[in-house]
Amino acid sequence: MDDVTFIWRSLPELLIGFPGHRPGGMLLSILLAGVSVSVGGVLAAGFGTMSASGQRALRLPATAFVWIIRGVPLILLLLLVHNISSSAALLGTEGTPTRSALIALTLYSAAYFADPIRAGLQSVPPQLIEDATLLGSSRSHTLTYVRLPFAIRSMFPGLTTQAVTIFKDTSVVVVIGVADLTTNAQLVLGADVANSDRWIPLYLTVGALYFIAALVLTKLASAWELRLIGRRSSLDVRPA
Amino acid sequence: MANWLTREALERLVDGLVVTVGLTIVTTFGALLLGGILASGRRSRSRAIRRASGAFVDVFRNVPALVLIIFFAFAVPTTVPQSDRAAVFFDNWLWNNLDGLTGVPIPYYAVAAAAALIANAGAHLGEVIRGGLSTIPAEEIESARLLGAGRFRLWWSVAFPGALRSSFPAVSSRLIHNMKNTALASFVAVPELFHSMQGEITRSFRATEFLALVALIYLGLAAAFSMTLQRVETHLLRGRRG
Repeated sequence: MDDVTFIWRSLPELLIGFPGHRPGGMLLSILLAGVSVSVGGVLAAGFGTMSASGQRALRLPATAFVWIIRGVPLILLLLLVHNISSSAALLGTEGTPTRSALIALTLYSAAYFADPIRAGLQSVPPQLIEDATLLGSSRSHTLTYVRLPFAIRSMFPGLTTQAVTIFKDTSVVVVIGVADLTTNAQLVLGADVANSDRWIPLYLTVGALYFIAALVLTKLASAWELRLIGRRSSLDVRPA
Repeated sequence: MANWLTREALERLVDGLVVTVGLTIVTTFGALLLGGILASGRRSRSRAIRRASGAFVDVFRNVPALVLIIFFAFAVPTTVPQSDRAAVFFDNWLWNNLDGLTGVPIPYYAVAAAAALIANAGAHLGEVIRGGLSTIPAEEIESARLLGAGRFRLWWSVAFPGALRSSFPAVSSRLIHNMKNTALASFVAVPELFHSMQGEITRSFRATEFLALVALIYLGLAAAFSMTLQRVETHLLRGRRG
């Protein structure tokens, strides 16, 4: 069996996982990134708002959370979460490696998104907030409908770059045995010594798959960005 | 001292810490240099060099660091026939002397992981420093040229430090990220801090304790590294912005 046939036969395992099992491979990598980026993004809006707040009681815990999560390697955060999560039942789910990976990646995304959101909130023109207040919106209303949308739009390019980075970072889940692309590459190779000639072609394929996926995600993000900026110009409230 | 943290365990963690710090230092300088070269390459007059640097940056930024480490450490040795593999990658004059020279064990895997981290961080830095290059005033380059600086001199004393200076905040956050990425080298059995920690957990079954302790060590390392980088930045900016 030559290299091309071998890669061709392993492609389904690399892309969607082993037959008869739950989704794995690249599909699982994308699912992990998608869920953690969306849930983490919502959490980050909260942490970012707290960090931008004038009250110390809100600012300190949020800043500490971001500093701690960003200060340790993701691989360590993953093991720590897995260690705690695998012994506890949470929301009726069992302590599986996939659940640990989701929790760890969500915390990680929340910490990495919180900082740009905080910076975005601090860049909201005071006049915009004043206008909203004069029009009679409450503080929480101003936050959800004026300040956060402004912050997220102005920080959009940084946020999408970070989301693509999180997709690549999902590869570390191999340490707790979640069947993502990196793990399945190892499973496909197995412990068979006769397979040692397949390492180079297989890992070149894995690298190419990550590369293509990251490129596609980046392109999608810039298309989305273009639409968003187009919409903002029609809503632009700043005086000309 | 807590009963799980024996003297021997602590010593093994310190050994790992030394390798982590060493790996961080080597990859930091390597990545800065590679980043500088790639950034200049993308502004080269030759189209081939521009293309090649651009392709390098794209490839090594978009493939996860862990996959690069596995590729360099595990896949590259398989290119050599099995009968010669040990002699080329593990047991020869170079590797044996490398261990003796540095005092810490440096297996092939460590060199491979360092190369992968340098390629990954270097590609990211190349993109960041490229932005910095465009902020260097033309008259600064012109006056250096008039003073007789050659091409290399111009790059080393004017362009590279100038680009670093203006892109330093982004450079330092990438370098801190790279420091944390050294933990990925544990995956290919490089005896660094994370790997020592995994060994201690296997020995003692005290996972939570060791994970928390090592998390604190990494937080300390990140804080110390970011303070060092801040000092470097002050040093770079001295006499500027005046």
